[in-house]
Amino acid sequence: MNTLNNFFLKKPILLVLGIIGLILSGSVSANKGLEIAKLSDKNNEGFGDSASSMTMELISKKGDVVTRRLRFKRLEVPEDGDKSISVFESPRDVKGVAILSYAHKTKADDQWLYLPALKRVKRIASKNKSGPFLGSEFTFEDFSFAEVEKYDYTYVKEELIEGTEFFVIERIPLDPYSGYTKQVVWIDKENYTTHKVHHFDRKSFHLKTQTFDDYKKYLGFFWQPHKIEMKNHQNGKSSILRFEDVSFNNGLTASDFSQNSLKRSR
Amino acid sequence: MLVRSRKFLIFLSGFFLLPVNAEYMGELLIEDRYFLNDAQFNQNSNHSSFTFSPEIFLNFEDKGIFHFKAKLRKDQEDKERNLIDIQELYFINLEESKEIKYGISKEFWGVTETAHRVDIINQTDSSESFDGEDKLGQPMIKLSLEKDWGLLDIYALLGFRQRTYAGKNGRLRLPLVIDTDNPKYESRAENKRTDFAIRWSHYFDNFEIALSHFSGTSREPRFIPSQKKLSGLTPYYETIDQTGLEALYLIGSLALKLEAITRSGQEDRFSALTAGFEYTQIGILDSRLDLGWLFEINHDDRIYSSPFILGTRLTFNDNFDTQLLFGVSYNDSSSEISSVIEASRRIGACCMISLESIYFGDMDEENGQLKLFEPFKEDDFFRIEFTYYLGE
Repeated sequence: MNTLNNFFLKKPILLVLGIIGLILSGSVSANKGLEIAKLSDKNNEGFGDSASSMTMELISKKGDVVTRRLRFKRLEVPEDGDKSISVFESPRDVKGVAILSYAHKTKADDQWLYLPALKRVKRIASKNKSGPFLGSEFTFEDFSFAEVEKYDYTYVKEELIEGTEFFVIERIPLDPYSGYTKQVVWIDKENYTTHKVHHFDRKSFHLKTQTFDDYKKYLGFFWQPHKIEMKNHQNGKSSILRFEDVSFNNGLTASDFSQNSLKRSR
Repeated sequence: MLVRSRKFLIFLSGFFLLPVNAEYMGELLIEDRYFLNDAQFNQNSNHSSFTFSPEIFLNFEDKGIFHFKAKLRKDQEDKERNLIDIQELYFINLEESKEIKYGISKEFWGVTETAHRVDIINQTDSSESFDGEDKLGQPMIKLSLEKDWGLLDIYALLGFRQRTYAGKNGRLRLPLVIDTDNPKYESRAENKRTDFAIRWSHYFDNFEIALSHFSGTSREPRFIPSQKKLSGLTPYYETIDQTGLEALYLIGSLALKLEAITRSGQEDRFSALTAGFEYTQIGILDSRLDLGWLFEINHDDRIYSSPFILGTRLTFNDNFDTQLLFGVSYNDSSSEISSVIEASRRIGACCMISLESIYFGDMDEENGQLKLFEPFKEDDFFRIEFTYYLGE
């Protein structure tokens, strides 16, 4: 310790350089993680609007499958988060139940739930996002859009898996209401699509693995996965989301994402 | 007039030329209520009923919507509980940030859970259930504008529906039977009066607000001794003006809620309010289960007491959407305590089963205070309901 002190005291210029070096090495990996996240997010820009039908398979530990159906509409809002409506089609008892969501880059999302039996629109706390979505292994949080500003990033490494090169980055949710303490994300080096996410729970346990498959390119630049799987390593269950009839540029406007449109969105 | 209606027909047929997305559905519901104690007025202990609700929904390429839903109910014991009601029979004409609804429909106003002070468009089907959440269809023309300054709904309510009440053989009734065959109205137009209502609602980040006004026939009657039937009560529907306020504020996962009204036209002007909070704990004890908490206080100038309700809901987040709800209501001034337990679960893809039990208790039987639930003290019940969904 003493020798080290002496070394730096004698050579103050080395001390300064040493500190700069430390800062740079730290910020390089942090910035690289953020840069990759930004490039990946850029992939999702400029699509205007999209609409899709989905099925969700809930698979038990024993392999029993039950299926849910839903429809999804999304409107890009430049400079802020996107607007979306999810409408449940099956099972029958939740048919017509719909969620309107206004995502925001930094503040909490605004969300409303429509209950058709009561004809009631109910504001819901978007902070309650760590709960299961329709009984699946996905949470509401997994369905919200991962705006870049909502995380802290660290670059981890590059990895070659089955002939494809990936960036591996780590992100830490800034929202204390997040159900995750850490997510490790594999991003394709070539087209910046997300390939895999490891979700770590509040006890820093690797709880779930999410994989994205069957990417197709729309509008010449927009990469859309057609199969998203979430495996829960704790309870052995998994959920698979399959996208059908994906369409872009449907001419949707803000009035298709209003409270009135929520009420008639079945 | 002829020209007008022809124009309207052309207007309608124009919609039928558009591509249409049609859905045909229905619900069959079998219910059985078993009352634990002998009745005060010789009614039976076991009441079952059957309800059929067919539904058609047509969407004309997002330019218009047609919706039809009826409710047909047959009760084994109480003929006042039989019902043929058109819940929805409307057409909506959609334009950018504006819609006009013509026909019969249901419209909900409000934010609180245990009482709905502000909600006034539809009449309550109070013979259906004790919580007052079941409504009858209301004929209307509604204009709805969605602008930067909020959502504005303006209603012309065409005609009036009477409230339903349990009949002579029904349980959960007052000692005197309500003579729904001979209602009285303050308005000379009786049940043909056109009522008006307006509601503005908006939100600012975590704050939601709505202001409303209703001018017309009270959905809630007062009772006068029947001239025609001995030991009967005649419902008297007065013309009222009611102004309402709804507010909700979110702090993290805590929702603070308020509904308040002031009403004139039924003797002295009075106010009533419901206020409280709702909070949900996500994933209790590191499980998938969510535990929701609800606390609401109810005040009404007319009853000189402010009962409060504490509720808790356990959501299992399983494949069957299993839910368990427990609520207790306590009225300090009359020492009344009542409780409710509800449970529901999906069966397969087609069906749903739910159980409900209500218990009316009394901590201090002779305290000389007005007891709100006195007429129902022998009507503790257990209810099972099975729903089968028709259509895909």
